Amino acid sequence: MDVSDILASNAATQKLTAVEKEIPLQVDAGLLTVTDLNPVDKESYDANTEDYLLSTARDGVQTLFAALAAFPTVSSPYGALTQLPPPTTELPRAKPLPKPKPPTKWEQFAKAKGIQKKRKDRKVWDEEKQDWVNRWGRDGKNKEGEDAWLSEVKQGADVDHDPAQELRTARKARVAKNERQQLQNNARAQGSSQAPEREQRKMEIDRTLATTRVSTASMGRFDRQLDGEKKIRGVKRKFEPNERSVEEEKKNSLSIISKLESDTKRAKKEKGGGDDVVNVRKAIRNASGGKGSAALSRGSSGKGKGTKGKGKR
Amino acid sequence: MLRTVKPKNARSKRALEAREPKEVEGPRTALFVKGTHTGDVVNNAMKDLMALKRPDAIAFSKKNPVHPFDDAASLEFWAQKNDASMFLIGQSTKKRPNGLVFARMFDYKVLDMCEVGVENFVGMGSFKGPKSTPGHTPALHFASDLFDTHPRLAHLKSLLLSFFAAPSVDALHLPGLEHVISVSLGPTPLSTSTTPEDDVAHLPKVHLRTYAISQTPSGTRTPLITLRPMGPHMDLTLRRAVPPSSNPHLLNLAMKRPKLVKKEVEKGLGKKRKNVEVDEMGDVRGRIHVGAQELGALKGKRVKALRDGEEESEEGESDGEEERPQRKRRR
Repeated sequence: MDVSDILASNAATQKLTAVEKEIPLQVDAGLLTVTDLNPVDKESYDANTEDYLLSTARDGVQTLFAALAAFPTVSSPYGALTQLPPPTTELPRAKPLPKPKPPTKWEQFAKAKGIQKKRKDRKVWDEEKQDWVNRWGRDGKNKEGEDAWLSEVKQGADVDHDPAQELRTARKARVAKNERQQLQNNARAQGSSQAPEREQRKMEIDRTLATTRVSTASMGRFDRQLDGEKKIRGVKRKFEPNERSVEEEKKNSLSIISKLESDTKRAKKEKGGGDDVVNVRKAIRNASGGKGSAALSRGSSGKGKGTKGKGKR
Repeated sequence: MLRTVKPKNARSKRALEAREPKEVEGPRTALFVKGTHTGDVVNNAMKDLMALKRPDAIAFSKKNPVHPFDDAASLEFWAQKNDASMFLIGQSTKKRPNGLVFARMFDYKVLDMCEVGVENFVGMGSFKGPKSTPGHTPALHFASDLFDTHPRLAHLKSLLLSFFAAPSVDALHLPGLEHVISVSLGPTPLSTSTTPEDDVAHLPKVHLRTYAISQTPSGTRTPLITLRPMGPHMDLTLRRAVPPSSNPHLLNLAMKRPKLVKKEVEKGLGKKRKNVEVDEMGDVRGRIHVGAQELGALKGKRVKALRDGEEESEEGESDGEEERPQRKRRR
């Protein structure tokens, strides 16, 4: 039997499975990605682009399979599964890292005291029944005594004393307490992110209170003070240093100028472009001695019936 | 901004939990959005890319006036609404014919974008032969040195990797690797190193090809690979882009890795192995815990020279020995 042909064909396929390039290909098995950093061969690219692309891709995939063959496999009902390493190429995540859950009050305490968490079994041994019973739930150990057909009543107990009911209410109270603590823990966990909002609301209320306190005719001077009412503090004056950098000075001056500009613009808008050299209201107040424009017109034209209507501007 | 909802039943609670950030993320869901005008080429290209990306793909059937480079607000809204973190936006205008925009999101905000023009499109339907099964992970092949050196092309590679690769796959059935998406470049012009980054006109064309893989036994562990064109085939030219470095704060957050995973990786394929670790040099180091040594019970050689005054010294020693273990116990 001549096997040289078979051997030769085998050798040919084995040659095809081995890919040799100038720069070895980079394989990221975790992402099933292979990167070929060899420069493009211009001659074969120009001769037949599609064939060239196909052959480089084949080389790449062959290298990828060679790399994958080196990883350990586990068997599964569908065949051997190749275990892939984690990807080496760092790609941006789609969402931020999950935030760790804030510890509950008990967890904080346990950490401070160095208490290790112990897992409780669901079943406990019952000496009387000589059997394993549920710790809680149906026929649970925590309901022990609630369905006793006979229970001891202490001397001098109330007439309507019901030991079974008492045990039940105590158990219900424990459950309620636990639920309350859970809610508190949840609130505390949420509160850590919502604290600023609460602070904001507090500041808003303080500001409103301060405004109302100075909103009376006497600006709060003759108002009755309440016990524990704080004194309103004004804004403290700040003094800039005399020597400053040129840029800062320039910025400051520019901001003042722009403020002035916007002021004049606003004034013009309000008056519709009238001359704003004389403050008319102030002038009238000064001329009439604070009595108003009507009194001014009356005073200038004297008393008389006929002139009454004329004085109006 | 969508309002935050508090789940009222278990199903909606589960749905909301599925949206929460995870330590190890699965494949990104892509939204396929058509702009105000899309030509035949863009339509077909999007359809075929969708076939490759399925089942992690959602297509919008209606056209939308979307201009991702001018205003990304609607992208952010859609991303949140559909819990998607990749976008493929197709739009054809007179100025930029047959354009596709790949956009990557982080935390429902646009992290980076890259616009490409499609040329020489050949669809999946034009190639005979079986196609890959939907949902199978593709192999990816990038061929050119520019993918490592040129920032624009490195960016494109990163985007395509995010788009197609499945990072959470930890075990793979090798015959299930049915197709490869190959991205290669034309010959590198000599001037790429001297031209500025944004000058994309001098960059070679990007050839995106998809081949079906057929594996035949070769007598070794590695099967012999032959490729057959499966489609879609297209040539891409780079256009506008928003690199991830344009918002470094977001990128910083996006590149954060969970600490736990790294530790697991170092200790070997995620398994917890006690007292064994790999040091910086790649050597495996183990720690052995030796039980308490009872020095009191140790019997040395009785040398003749020490026999004189044996009783005294033995008394003194025995006292010390009795005390020492007690002290230890107290600690």
